[in-house]
Amino acid sequence: MPYHAIDAQLRELLPRLRRFALWLTREATSADDLVQSTLERALSRWDSRRDSAALRPWLFTILYRLFLDARRNAKRYASMLERFRFGDEEEHPSVEREVMAQSVLWSLERLPPDQRNLLLWVAVEGLSYEEIAQILDVPIGTVMSRLSRARQALRRLNDGETTTPVLRLLK
Amino acid sequence: MNTTIPSEYEIHAYIDGRLDESRRQAVEFYLAQHPERAEEVRAWQRDTQRLRAAYGALPAMADNPALDPARIRARRWQRFRARLAMAAMLVLSLCIGGFGGWQVHGWRFARAMPPMGDAMAAYRMVAVNQSVPLDVVSEEDSVLQAWLDKHIERTARLPDLHDAGYHPIGGRLFATDQGPAAMVLYKDAEGHAISFYVRPPGPMRDLLPSGQRADGGLLAQYGSDRSYNYAMVSRVDGTDKRLVAQALERVI
Repeated sequence: MPYHAIDAQLRELLPRLRRFALWLTREATSADDLVQSTLERALSRWDSRRDSAALRPWLFTILYRLFLDARRNAKRYASMLERFRFGDEEEHPSVEREVMAQSVLWSLERLPPDQRNLLLWVAVEGLSYEEIAQILDVPIGTVMSRLSRARQALRRLNDGETTTPVLRLLK
Repeated sequence: MNTTIPSEYEIHAYIDGRLDESRRQAVEFYLAQHPERAEEVRAWQRDTQRLRAAYGALPAMADNPALDPARIRARRWQRFRARLAMAAMLVLSLCIGGFGGWQVHGWRFARAMPPMGDAMAAYRMVAVNQSVPLDVVSEEDSVLQAWLDKHIERTARLPDLHDAGYHPIGGRLFATDQGPAAMVLYKDAEGHAISFYVRPPGPMRDLLPSGQRADGGLLAQYGSDRSYNYAMVSRVDGTDKRLVAQALERVI
């Protein structure tokens, strides 16, 4: 495949990758760094990709694995970084927050990351359950049960409930 | 119609519109009979659709030219070339370092081992201390030349010192690090001795520039042709060194 054709394919998926990376990292610069690393790795491994493998799940797999690696490395320094953070909460850009405020995305943001990723892959990116099982490296049955829990959690949030059990004062 | 309870997979596939028609109908049939389950599934379906719509409605992120695949490809190529250049530099410096190191080794070796020290040692053993006998004893030039040719291939002609009053008396082989060396000894009527010493240059082709040096009352004059190192050793006093030098010059 000629370079420009490859580049065109990647360029088309770029907005989706960036958006998903933003949900993962919660910070625009980190998100684009992650996407950049993803594209670099994709280009370096392009020849080893099986032709049958769909491009979109392949890219999401690379991106997610890189994210996990980066987070693992970051955790080593987390305690050190903690001391330098002064209420610097992870936030989406303000424009996004406005849009999200009135939508189901507000609930989505309150889900645990694993459930959020799963819903984005299934509902938005249209990845097959099998592809998701490969990304997460778990059996397909696990994907299905996690998906059930994610949908239940989203439902509860949309209904105004919370996912975490609330302590009730007993009279 | 299949009335078994749909699997978890089938429920999700139903919500996400990934079932074929017959299985979709089977799930519909099941849900029609189980209103509570049906209500939950419809709600999940609504959430999914709202999620997709809301996500799609998010404003586009600001363009980031650094992420363009063509740009990243170009950067990769640049980095590759930079690494290639660095690797080339590394190889080059290794070569320079290795070659230089070997040169220094050679110089130090040369300093540690003064040239043709073995020729002088051989002279001492045979002509001064007479601690070892000659392998071949003959005063015939032709016999000694044949003996020399047999042991040292393609070597030079023996020097002719008859005019100076010296005649050959015999020869002896020596083992050296560079290979077998041969010495032919000449004497004059008063018993002054001159040795003619031939040694291969060894695997490093360590050929000597012409020169001379004195050590312990002995003078070695030496030089090389393209195949061997030669030395002629005599006592510092008692032998005309110019005579020896001329003889060596003719040989080389």
